[in-house]
Amino acid sequence: MTDLRAANARRQRPLRLVLLGAGALAALALGACGGSSSSSTGTSSASKAPGGFLAATPVPGQKRGGALKLLGAEGFSHMDPGQVYGQLDYMITFATQRGLYYFKPEDPQNQVPDIADGQPVVSADNTTVTVKLKSGIRYGTNTTSSITGKEVTAADVKYAFERGLNPSVGNGYEAVYFPIVGADKAKGGPLAGITTPDAHTIVFKLTKPFGATTSRALVMPLTMPVPKSYAGAGDQKTPNPYEAKPETQAFTGPYMISDYQPDKSITLVRNPQWDSKTDSRPAYLDTIQWTLNVDPNVSGRQIFASPGLANGDTPAAGAVKRFATQAKDRITFTASGNRYVAVNTQRKPFSDVNVRKALAAALDRRAMLLARGGSLVGQVATHFLPPTIPGYAEAGGDKGIGADYLANPAGDPVVAAKYMKLAGFTSGKANGEKVVMLGSNDSPAKETAEITRDAIASLGFKVQFRLLDQGTLYSKYCQVTSELKKIDICGAAGWIPDFSDPFAMLVATFSGDSITPTNNPNPSLLNDPQINAAMDKGARINDPAERAKAWGAIDRQIVEKAGAIPFDYDLPPNIVSSDVQGVIAKWNASWDLAYMSLK
Amino acid sequence: VVGYIARRVAWMFVLLALVSAVTFLIFYALPSADPAALRAGRQASPELIAQIRTRLGLDDPLYVQYWTYMKGVVLHFDFGFSFQTSQGVREALVSRLPATISMTAGALVIWLVVSLPLGVLSALRRGTPLDRITMGGAMLAISAPVYWLALVSLYLFAKDIGAFPIFDGANTYVGITDDAGRWFGSLLLPWLVLAAGFAAFYARLLRANLVEVLGEDYIRTARAKGLTERRVVWRHGVRAAITPIVTVLGLDIGVLLGGSILTESVFNIPGIGRYAFDAIQSADLPAIQGTVLFAAFFIVLANLVVDIAYAFLDPRVRYS
Repeated sequence: MTDLRAANARRQRPLRLVLLGAGALAALALGACGGSSSSSTGTSSASKAPGGFLAATPVPGQKRGGALKLLGAEGFSHMDPGQVYGQLDYMITFATQRGLYYFKPEDPQNQVPDIADGQPVVSADNTTVTVKLKSGIRYGTNTTSSITGKEVTAADVKYAFERGLNPSVGNGYEAVYFPIVGADKAKGGPLAGITTPDAHTIVFKLTKPFGATTSRALVMPLTMPVPKSYAGAGDQKTPNPYEAKPETQAFTGPYMISDYQPDKSITLVRNPQWDSKTDSRPAYLDTIQWTLNVDPNVSGRQIFASPGLANGDTPAAGAVKRFATQAKDRITFTASGNRYVAVNTQRKPFSDVNVRKALAAALDRRAMLLARGGSLVGQVATHFLPPTIPGYAEAGGDKGIGADYLANPAGDPVVAAKYMKLAGFTSGKANGEKVVMLGSNDSPAKETAEITRDAIASLGFKVQFRLLDQGTLYSKYCQVTSELKKIDICGAAGWIPDFSDPFAMLVATFSGDSITPTNNPNPSLLNDPQINAAMDKGARINDPAERAKAWGAIDRQIVEKAGAIPFDYDLPPNIVSSDVQGVIAKWNASWDLAYMSLK
Repeated sequence: VVGYIARRVAWMFVLLALVSAVTFLIFYALPSADPAALRAGRQASPELIAQIRTRLGLDDPLYVQYWTYMKGVVLHFDFGFSFQTSQGVREALVSRLPATISMTAGALVIWLVVSLPLGVLSALRRGTPLDRITMGGAMLAISAPVYWLALVSLYLFAKDIGAFPIFDGANTYVGITDDAGRWFGSLLLPWLVLAAGFAAFYARLLRANLVEVLGEDYIRTARAKGLTERRVVWRHGVRAAITPIVTVLGLDIGVLLGGSILTESVFNIPGIGRYAFDAIQSADLPAIQGTVLFAAFFIVLANLVVDIAYAFLDPRVRYS
């Protein structure tokens, strides 16, 4: 990678992560969606997507009962709802815990109340967000305890936010989306900015007029209630029992974790305290077992040949090819995030916008997509907001802003030379000036880094190129600002939004405020006052249409300033056995376990 | 003998202390991922990362961290907890050790049962078609990468995805105490895969050694004294030829008990090898340290056993 997503994944390692296994997709020699339907399995036509692929949406008459088994190569990053921040983690957490809001699988843009009773109310001055809670939501536990059967209260949601600031939990995004009064000083103790006027009302008081964004972030798992009386003592320990022994959590979702063996397996069973009257999730399956550390080449064949299975993480290239050609109605492709080449905007030669545009023009983005698996698993990007995020159309849709330096996906040496001349290189090429580039040694990031290196060299620069282990690359270089200042290009970055909102897509990666000494998610070091101001303004807009328009414009600005070079919108694949009704949570581009069933 | 063993055991602990110190130094001296940053996640603030670093003791001086770690290991047999999974390293290793021992023991039996007779037979029938076929097959088995062999064996013989469904496939492992029958069935194919390369290597090694030994003067003397050929071969030939094999065997057992990463990965057997692999991937120092110490312990212990066994096999060896 140099893929921030994968970097943060643990082995998956990752964050909102994920496509570690995407490496396995390299060189997938398939055409774009289309073609005839395949051999199949009796799936109704309503469940087919264009090209005959599985639509992976809920269908009428799904069967209740049975056991599903998932096979995955990667382990989980976290289990504590206060810590989880990765795609795989979310699959488990959103089946076992309920937050204030969530997304239905087929609609990644409109949050619906979960334990909340109605939509959040944002004050006129945008500094207060009020949420009402439903009654009758109760905790289930594997072993009967004082909390078993107790009703969820607003105080439990408040405590979830408080413990997120405790280093033994260490939530990564709380400060970004929830600028709550008092949070900057809190380390797990009471938060003055959250009040609970009654057992079913919670009020967030913010330090700035940020309610429009905070109210959208209430889909994050940090909002999942944690009873202080039950978890408080453990929160003072390291490791925290909610993380180390997740089967001891108090569960509010339709399922409970009955057994967890790190890096081996996890088993979910029904939560007897869950009341379907309070939840729109159907929870068809009786049990869900997820086996970890399975070789993706083997699991792909097992899912193809055996009943009751689905992939846990990215399938191997061979499996994708087999399903796409022989069982189209058992494979689905879902849009997720973006990938781009981050160039150091604060260091010569790329501090010159024309040199950045020259590189964009020289880059063979089509080859980069091919290195990642081709048009079946991605689309050449023209800007940074992916198709599923509001603002995509406003930023130019598929065509983008129409810039000549991004017009030819295969690269355009003539346009590249034009911008090099504008940058002062009269011959249209540099004179062997040194450019420092780091990349990941993990395929396919390695291949995309090599394509980037070749494009830089084609501009006449001398490239000092070094490949590193992915974890090292990010935690020691590409997310460490003092190191980034010595590097011109840190591989290729990528981002999956935390929720379907352009703020979650663009701020972390392109705002000057994101440039922190460590864990810096803005490897371009882009710190443009105009863009920063526009983001600050955009974060305050609550009206969906106005918000999409504002953020679309911000996306265009980033492209115009060549803050980075977009090359791919990911379409990660998922596969199922012939007797499994797969349902994708489009917001997370992965299975929604509470909606899946056997046929 | 007791003095010799005591000295070796003492050295074993010195060596383990050195290994642990070197692992610590390598982890900190070479560029590796920052565990606190990895644990904190993507958008964590520097303050939060600093707090996590403090909580994990990562901002203590290196010698303090090492001292704290070794104190836990020596006094409480406590290897700390994984930065990534928050699980105790000791618990993780102990829970995975049975799978690794199962893998090693079964494969060991198979490769010895196969390699020793084949090696002797080839040496005694040197130059015959049997010798050529055996040694040619052995060369093939040595050349086949374990990962490839494991995948091919699954594609050919696994009950769920194989062309000739005979053996249990991947993801079927259960503990011997859970179901001995399923345990045996789930390990048959991994045993065969793991044993293939070792059996081939041992057969070739034994053949070469035996061919050389059978040409020695004392073998001719033994025959001249009228000993039966069986006694000459087994009592005087094989006994001498097998001594170097015992040395290699000790090392191999030690290494395998430290984890056979590829075989465990393909068959998804939750052993120590896979744990070590994951730990390295995620810069999980406590887990890395624990697996390194475990592997080093087994290798040193196996060497000690081999050295003691030497004296029984070769009368020329004396403890000193």
